[in-house]
Amino acid sequence: MDELTREFLIESQEGLDRMERCLTDLENRPDHAALIAEIFRSVHTIKGTTGFLGYKRLEKLSHAGESLLGQLREGKLSATAPIVTVLLQLLDGLRSILRAIEANETEGAGEDEKLIQDLEQLQANADISTTVVDSAVKRRSRKKAAAVGVPPSTVSRTADIAAHDPTTQLIEASPDAAAVDKAERSPSPSENISKISSSGIASREHETATLVNASTVAASESTLRVDVALLNRMMNLVGELVLTRNQVLQASATSPSLTQLSRRLDMVTADLRESVMKARMQPVSNVFSKIPRMVRDLSHSLGRRGRLEMEGQDTGLDKSLLEAIKDPLTHAVRNSLDHGIEAPDVRIAAGKNPEGLLRVRAIQEGSHVIIEVSDDGAGISVERVRAKAIERNLISAERAAQQSEHELLQLVFLPGFSTAAVVTNVSGRGVGMDVVRTNVEKIGGKVELDSHPGRGTTLRLRIPLTLAIIPALIVRSVGQSFALPQAALSELVHIARQESVSSIEWMEGTPLYRLRGNLLPLVFLDRLLVPGTTHDRNNLCESYIAVLETDGRRFGLVVDGLADPEEIVVKALNVALKNIGLYSGATVLGSGSLALILDPTAIAIRSGIAVEESDLVASAEVSAPLNLINNDYLVVDIGNRRSAVELTNVIRIEQLPASRIEYIGRRPVLNFEGQLLSIEDSAQLLVAEADPDAQIVVVICRDGDRQVGFVVSHVLDVAAGTDLFEAGSSRATKGVTLLENRVTDLVDLALVPALSANTTEAHSCQFAEASL
Amino acid sequence: MNSSPKTRRRKAPSSAPIEMCSVRVGDTLFGLPISHILEIVGSARPQAVPLAPGFVGGLVHYRGDVLTTVSLRQLLGLSTQDRAQPILVLEGAGGCFGVLVDGVGEVLTVSSDDFEPNPPTLDECRKKLFTGTYKLKKSLLVILDPCRLDPSYLVGSQLA
Repeated sequence: MDELTREFLIESQEGLDRMERCLTDLENRPDHAALIAEIFRSVHTIKGTTGFLGYKRLEKLSHAGESLLGQLREGKLSATAPIVTVLLQLLDGLRSILRAIEANETEGAGEDEKLIQDLEQLQANADISTTVVDSAVKRRSRKKAAAVGVPPSTVSRTADIAAHDPTTQLIEASPDAAAVDKAERSPSPSENISKISSSGIASREHETATLVNASTVAASESTLRVDVALLNRMMNLVGELVLTRNQVLQASATSPSLTQLSRRLDMVTADLRESVMKARMQPVSNVFSKIPRMVRDLSHSLGRRGRLEMEGQDTGLDKSLLEAIKDPLTHAVRNSLDHGIEAPDVRIAAGKNPEGLLRVRAIQEGSHVIIEVSDDGAGISVERVRAKAIERNLISAERAAQQSEHELLQLVFLPGFSTAAVVTNVSGRGVGMDVVRTNVEKIGGKVELDSHPGRGTTLRLRIPLTLAIIPALIVRSVGQSFALPQAALSELVHIARQESVSSIEWMEGTPLYRLRGNLLPLVFLDRLLVPGTTHDRNNLCESYIAVLETDGRRFGLVVDGLADPEEIVVKALNVALKNIGLYSGATVLGSGSLALILDPTAIAIRSGIAVEESDLVASAEVSAPLNLINNDYLVVDIGNRRSAVELTNVIRIEQLPASRIEYIGRRPVLNFEGQLLSIEDSAQLLVAEADPDAQIVVVICRDGDRQVGFVVSHVLDVAAGTDLFEAGSSRATKGVTLLENRVTDLVDLALVPALSANTTEAHSCQFAEASL
Repeated sequence: MNSSPKTRRRKAPSSAPIEMCSVRVGDTLFGLPISHILEIVGSARPQAVPLAPGFVGGLVHYRGDVLTTVSLRQLLGLSTQDRAQPILVLEGAGGCFGVLVDGVGEVLTVSSDDFEPNPPTLDECRKKLFTGTYKLKKSLLVILDPCRLDPSYLVGSQLA
């Protein structure tokens, strides 16, 4: 295929994509001149270019389309539903020819006569109607226009529709309302309106067209089309640079002269990486733009009435990821329309607006993009899901009885659940939900489902911004380094050599760890990787437990050692190694050695860790009403009183001998990383502790711009809390929160008195001297 | 899939002399068509991959990529060596891969006249790996089939 044809194909595809967006928009705003001009231009460009490329079929079809669009543009016709339908057919027709050209450089042998006839037919209607109603309508409409301040063109078109098209009676019923509505949006200042005559209309159209043109020109000058392969190569190179930087950083730690240089390298690399990643970002609107059309077509064929709301379309996402979410998103939207939103009569019976609301939105949240598809339809009946899951042996009856509603809902993602047609009919949803989940998880994302019977369903896709570079913790086992993605890591527990025998409990050969009162199943990485490794239970050495959480599975992975966390560049593995199923890739570490990237989900499955959210934290999180503000809290026990502190404020939890606490007068203070920390001991735990070697726990927190510490008896848990409202008001109460359904005090950090400036200085000097 | 690479190779040498890179594994001199070799990486020590199929010699860092290597010793049922080994980088269907050998020799020019197919008495496993042999003056140059060394091929074959 020659360069010219390829260029033409790309350009036409873009034009048609634009056209599709405009068309669905046009249906809601039938007389938007800029939209029509945009559509006209797309078709016109195709026609123009095909002329000299010699694609006759394409030329003929686009010509027919152009003529109809010309009528629309001149205001002789209005974009009624049948016209939009035909234009959409035109779009499909053009697309299929372009596809054929792309595949085998010929236009294919399709038949366009019917479509061309339709296009001409509609055009003919326009000619008749304009001549017949023209004078009468114009007079009437001009009068009306003067009254409401609308350019006559708009009203005359509205009247036109009414005159010849029975399907638009809705619009006819309230021409004034529509006109007023338009007047508000109308860009032309009202004082000009009186001057607008038939020639005035033309000039205004012209103005809009040039305006739109100007903006397109600006866009094309500031952007550049780049080959994706080149971009991939750039990303690889940047990845290389990140690795080299990591190595330089490690090497420079020993030689101070390099530190400055390597810091600079570090900065440049980080910036470069970010900008290359940005270059790969594309707005989700590229995928979202397909939805209006889909909603339109499906609503028609399913007999539903759906209103679509889209939000956050400029949210950027890596190009490859955008491709990957296309199918799951399509699926989700289809499900919402097919099974979620009820038929209009059912909705009316249920006291709802007959028009269902489908909301698709994208939000960036840290290093993830969340795509939410929600509807206000029937929702999923948890009872039916439960019944079907038991019937299909996906879950035992006893187990089902124990599970929360949220947990049961997640069953629709199980493969067995969706394949049976009976189930989907009854449960309302689930066609290929396992496919949605698989696709999203393949790219490192997560899927969540929330549903309230009668009120609707929300499907949330959580997608990482990029795949190429991820933060990971480097762990050691069987004498090798492995990378553990941070995304799955929830906490780390250190087990000292002397504790190793007592802290790991065995239940008939199965190792367990008591984590804050709950039993956590353990997986020994070395046993998993080298089958046959056994552990002498009485002679365990120092180890670490990485507590991992991956799609509802929670377990502890026991490793021999930890190295630093690193940003790793993910390299794909050969299929021979992918088949092992435990590694998601490999990477080059800062030290220059290689590390395999462990796949936490695969490890969980291999070790038989079941999906369960037995843990209180998880269920507390999900059962909390979504519309309330949730914060994560660290729950502590201070002298047998439960208290909480916002997790975002917690810097560190230190366990240290009581002797480390020093006193200024009677104020306990702590030398924390060379700085003086004021310690709050509200429960007088320090006073009670007589033994200077006894271990005490200090939680170090941020309070505004200072740091303070407070002594606690134990750290209990991390949990999501809900703000409490004072009865009868909407004022959130201060100082308490609802944690695990119990009202819990918050530690008031502001109560910790500040150390006077002078004392602080004197003491830090003392510390400085002491360290010398 | 079984016959196509062989037939191609048999036809090709009909006129021009062929250049083979000679490598040594155990006591045998093997040859690989140099057209298939991207690069020869002087001794590297691959990183082991726990639970990997036997023929995988481990991973090495190669030009910013992670290269899967195939151990010829393992494939031929010889004892493996725990030392740095030279690696031939070949291009396979699923990307590049490395072949671990004991030593790399010179490039030999052979003529198709000296080619003999595998003897029927050769064991099945070796028959699958070798395309045949060239008779050199003093010894034999056993030709390895680069496509058959590809780990993505090996993982699906019985050789693993």
